[in-house]
Amino acid sequence: MRAIDAGILICGECHELNRQDPETDEQTCTRCGALVHARRPNSLMRTWALLLTSAILYIPANLLPIMTVNSLGQGSPSTIMAGVIELVQHGMIPIAAVVFIASILVPTFKLVGIALLLFSVQRHQPLSARQRIIMYRFIEFIGRWSMLDIFVIAILVAVVNFGRIASIEANLGAVAFASVVVITMLAAVTFDPRLIWDNTESDDDHE
Amino acid sequence: MPDPVDPRRVSELPLDELVACHECDLLMRKPHLALGEKAQCPRCGYELYAHRYKVVERSLALVIAALLLYVPANFLPIMQLNLLGQASQDTVWSGVLGLFNTGMQGIAVVVFLCSMGIPLLKLLCQLAVLLSIRWNIGRSYGLLIYRIYHHLRDWGMLEVYLMGVLVAIVKLADLAELNLGLGLVCFVSLLLVQVWLEVVMSPHQIWQALSGEDIHAGD
Repeated sequence: MRAIDAGILICGECHELNRQDPETDEQTCTRCGALVHARRPNSLMRTWALLLTSAILYIPANLLPIMTVNSLGQGSPSTIMAGVIELVQHGMIPIAAVVFIASILVPTFKLVGIALLLFSVQRHQPLSARQRIIMYRFIEFIGRWSMLDIFVIAILVAVVNFGRIASIEANLGAVAFASVVVITMLAAVTFDPRLIWDNTESDDDHE
Repeated sequence: MPDPVDPRRVSELPLDELVACHECDLLMRKPHLALGEKAQCPRCGYELYAHRYKVVERSLALVIAALLLYVPANFLPIMQLNLLGQASQDTVWSGVLGLFNTGMQGIAVVVFLCSMGIPLLKLLCQLAVLLSIRWNIGRSYGLLIYRIYHHLRDWGMLEVYLMGVLVAIVKLADLAELNLGLGLVCFVSLLLVQVWLEVVMSPHQIWQALSGEDIHAGD
């Protein structure tokens, strides 16, 4: 049985149980004072909005150069994918794989994954609750790793700093990319995982 | 594993005999845990709570260790690059400054927050909460600060930064002579201490101690 059916609300912050008070719209937790909701308000709509924003930013993030390497007066801008290809050409396959996974696979998977979660929660299809919760946990866990490329740029900008001989600067693509990562992380926070288990009567027996 | 509650009698049970899963909203009878045990949701597998030994004392030691490591980790050089007789050093802080000075203020702020600002704030929040329990003062502020901590949790990204350092090392190793610095050792230690701290500081016991339900929950 769900807590919501028993008229019990879980505090989203300290996980204390609160009896639902039918007379008020804005109930606060008896322990920590946070607002308690049966389900996060407008969770699906907000998540959709954040998801669409990041999907739009995803395009410049991949097409615009994220950094420019200046060497002896010549500048060569590079995009995320170009950085991966360059690593492969230098024979550094494991690191290329890490960067490829963190910067390309993970953001793409997150966009598709969150969309699929939202869609399947709204339509009660096509994933089972168990598949959805695995997907949700995976997205929540992996989101932060996409910041990898941004940190690499920060380090390279600081360390490759030899004036005209060699220097590295960040470009607009990095701004778009950082925004995609932050906004998809926000989308994962806004999504209420309890929605996954609502409307799944068949899975409600928790055998 | 906790037992799911029989629906007919649930409204009669007092709240402190129940527990509900935060991730899937399943309502259960609250199991009593011995030291070192943890309770998981039988439906979705989420860890409901754990009961650990001497939470406050062990966490305090780890927080203080982490705070001591914080300054050298962020301000000592992580690596030094030598190119044609010139040397340049990299610290976490100089990475932020470098981005800021090349006109990328937005990213500089994000990098600063994820690698320095939020990890520090998290540690300070944990310190304040633990001291509030230990000295039995300002518990209402303690509750507020611990809530702030839970909102910050996901945004400190030390482990991702460390991976970034590794990628940068590999990228630069072929191009120029590279020396690793003491800052890297401190950074790795800070990361390890912080992960350990998150494991030890069991939220359920901290909330109970903070709210005064069970002042010795963290002992």
